[in-house]
Amino acid sequence: MLKIGEFELLVLLSILRQSKQPYANKVREDLEENANRTVTRGALYRTLDRLEKKGLVSWELEASQIPERGGHPTRRLKITQTGLAAAQQQQSILLRFFDGLDSVAGSDR
Amino acid sequence: MDPSGSAILGDLLEDFYALANREGSAEARGWYWRQATALIASALYQRVQSRITGAVPKTSEVGTMIEAITPRGLIQDAAYAFNAVRKDLGLVVFATLIIGIGVGATTAVFSVMSPLLVKPLPFEDESRLVWIANDGDGGRSAVTSRSSNLRDFRKLATSFEGLTGYDAFFEQRSYTLLGDGAPERLAGVGVAHNFLDVLGIEPFKGRSFTEQEGALWNHSTIILSHALWRQRFAADENIVGQSITLNGAPSTVIGVLPSSFDFSSTFTPNSRVDLLTTFPINDDSDQWGNTLAMIGRLAPDATVANAQAELETVIENLEQAEPDRWGLGAVVTPIRQQISGSHRQALLLLFGASAAVMLIVCVNLSSLLLSKGLNRRKEMFLRSALGAPRGRLLRQMLIESLLLASAGALVGVGLATFITRSIASSTAITIPLLSGARVDGQALLFTCLVALVSGLAVGMLPAFQASMAGGSTALRGAGRTSSTGKRSRWLRETLVITEVALACALLVVGGLLLQSFTKVLDVDLGFEPSETAAWLISTDRNFDDDQARINFYQEIQETVSAVPGVTAVAMTDAIPLGINRQWGIGVPGRIYDDGETPSFYPHIVDRNYLETMGIPILSGRNFSTADLLDTQRVTIINESAAKELFPGESAVGQALNTGDEVRIIGVVADVRHVGAEKESGKELYLPISQSGNFNTLDLVVRSDLPLEAIQGPVAAAIRSIDPNMPTNDVRALDAVVGRSTSPRRFTLWLLAAFAATALLLAALGIYGVLSYTVSERTHEIGIRMALGESNSSIRRRVLGRTLLLAGAGVAASAALSFGVSKVIGSLLFGIDAQDPATFGAVAVLLLTVAALAGLVPAWRASKTSASIALRGS
Repeated sequence: MLKIGEFELLVLLSILRQSKQPYANKVREDLEENANRTVTRGALYRTLDRLEKKGLVSWELEASQIPERGGHPTRRLKITQTGLAAAQQQQSILLRFFDGLDSVAGSDR
Repeated sequence: MDPSGSAILGDLLEDFYALANREGSAEARGWYWRQATALIASALYQRVQSRITGAVPKTSEVGTMIEAITPRGLIQDAAYAFNAVRKDLGLVVFATLIIGIGVGATTAVFSVMSPLLVKPLPFEDESRLVWIANDGDGGRSAVTSRSSNLRDFRKLATSFEGLTGYDAFFEQRSYTLLGDGAPERLAGVGVAHNFLDVLGIEPFKGRSFTEQEGALWNHSTIILSHALWRQRFAADENIVGQSITLNGAPSTVIGVLPSSFDFSSTFTPNSRVDLLTTFPINDDSDQWGNTLAMIGRLAPDATVANAQAELETVIENLEQAEPDRWGLGAVVTPIRQQISGSHRQALLLLFGASAAVMLIVCVNLSSLLLSKGLNRRKEMFLRSALGAPRGRLLRQMLIESLLLASAGALVGVGLATFITRSIASSTAITIPLLSGARVDGQALLFTCLVALVSGLAVGMLPAFQASMAGGSTALRGAGRTSSTGKRSRWLRETLVITEVALACALLVVGGLLLQSFTKVLDVDLGFEPSETAAWLISTDRNFDDDQARINFYQEIQETVSAVPGVTAVAMTDAIPLGINRQWGIGVPGRIYDDGETPSFYPHIVDRNYLETMGIPILSGRNFSTADLLDTQRVTIINESAAKELFPGESAVGQALNTGDEVRIIGVVADVRHVGAEKESGKELYLPISQSGNFNTLDLVVRSDLPLEAIQGPVAAAIRSIDPNMPTNDVRALDAVVGRSTSPRRFTLWLLAAFAATALLLAALGIYGVLSYTVSERTHEIGIRMALGESNSSIRRRVLGRTLLLAGAGVAASAALSFGVSKVIGSLLFGIDAQDPATFGAVAVLLLTVAALAGLVPAWRASKTSASIALRGS
């Protein structure tokens, strides 16, 4: 079974959430806004590199229409089959472990 | 640029504009650079981490990531360079060390020669200061002037703003300081009252002499040297105005010299000077003959040539007015020329030698990096394929070599500081102004310049070669037999030949100097300096007559003779290799033209002197107890004088005219009293027992015991006769001889060190190039062996190449060496500048060393296994 870290999981999930615009910038914005964490560029790119090396993420370059990019291409990120499987596996592990813990986890109720 | 790097840059730019729209461009710019810095840090972190964990870093990605965000790329180049350099720690250490040696050598020599040749002298507006020597040829008496010359030049010559002088024979005068502790002999120099004013030296404390004080010859006013003030008077702030006791009479301290002006270090590096006192310019001092070293300050519009011409006219007029006047003459030279004198050439030679070492270092490194450059061609090609412009690659290579040069410069400055300090603090080297040598700002500036130039020089060739990385060959692998490979080999071999040629020239010069030095040491000085020491003694007593004075010193001589361990004691008024003076002495009955009177070096000695010094009597007899003030005046002359004045006849029994008529009673062997390298000339010995004409005496003591062992007992013996007699001025004659050859030894040692370094570097260079060539041609060697060539034939081939390279270097250096040795002609002694034996020996040495350096690569080549070599391809 592939080992996968928490931040790696968040990045994977975020890529899935950006189905229309799966770009690194959007992933970063998503993580900063919705996961309540500061994401440095270096950490994100390093994580993407790592995920790619593990075969969980792949990307292709596409020409960008955004003028601010100054003609630089952009990476369209994609979750591979392995990546999807890994995310699902993590989900079931987490669900299993949260199961029956409502009273503890739900202290804000 | 690599595509994913480009994408990263795109992301960054997109966010940048978004932020700029929201928050303004200033804010966004700051953000951009924070992001960029963080990215670099992150990339470097990843690199280090992957190194630690052993994972292979994706070089191109990290690289392009950095490249993407630093538009000017400099930081990135530096990071690259740092990494490239770090990858090969052995190379870094080696390069740093040899650059350190080169920089250390050049900086040290620069620092040492700087006070004498580069920096301003410790005078105000030194360009207007001139030295006015007399026009004689010979000892110090021949280049010094009478007081009347100074007096008349002052009156008549308008080219000068001021004229002054000092007593060039000050070593013969002695000042005994009485006070707390043992009596101390101080060395003082008499100067004309305006001495400091003409030189433009402001006293550190107090004032200069007044004209009234200058007219006195009784040391009633003195100016202390800075060193004496600090050491003997504990830097007493209130010293000015105080009275001290010198030679039993009160002297008022009117000033202290500034630390920047050390009289002895500037004018008389052989002697010590503790204080200045006045030397009167009047008829009395004129009677003492040529005593003054004259210095002038030119008027603002005058030149050396004007002044010379004017003085010649003045002298002509004076001679016409007073036909009997003697000792008139003037040769005007810039003061720096006088002070640096013969040392200028030696120092320039050393500077040249250190520059040659630096050049060899550069050549060596250049060829090393050239080999590395070939290995890195693939990397360079990749980067250039990824969009790095050629200039960028060039710049990166140069930054690498500059980094190496800077590291080397740091090592070099440390080395130079150490060398300069040990040289400056040495009292055994008599080179003017040496004590002021230090690695200062100017020297550091020089070091930076050397490092910069050498960094560029070292990097230039490899940089061009690597950045020209020919596309396909580079990717195919190190271009084994390609034309680029050949061209670079040719380049490296040329560098090695250059190295060998430079090393050869240095070795030739070193060899010539070494032989000169041994020849100087081999010179028969005419006396035996070992196991002998000289105490300079003087007294301030007043004696009733000359006989009383003679008896007084006689008593000291006898008391010291009784000290256990002392085998012989003699007295002289001047030990050899000290002051250089001449007396004009004729043979009675002969008539001499003006200036043709024979000049003798006079020694006043007691009857033990010749035996104690080991000077053999060739004919006649020694002085005896029967030679007294009221008997026939007698003298002993040396062999050269006897041959010159009385050719073909016996000198013994002849007479000389020293003022009195003296009878020659003996002839002794020559003594080199000026220096080991100077012929003796004519010498004359007069017995103390018939003379009252001396101020100070040297007590020459011979003993089998070391100097330290007899120093105390001898001093005690002297003081038992006169408790006020100073006994601190003692010199081993060995050390006196050593000092007289010290500039030569100094030059030789430094040059030998440079030559040895050069030889070592040249050997390393040969080794490096051959090793590389062998490894580069493993494939070829493998094929040759597969085709049946034998191991020994391969070895011969590599060794042959070695000798060819070294031989070419030696041949190339022939012209260079001959050129250089011509320039150093005057530094040589007893050997021809183009001595073929020296050159031959150096050639043999270099070829031997080259062969040794080539042995390992040759052996390695012959061990190449054909199958491995071929498989390796």
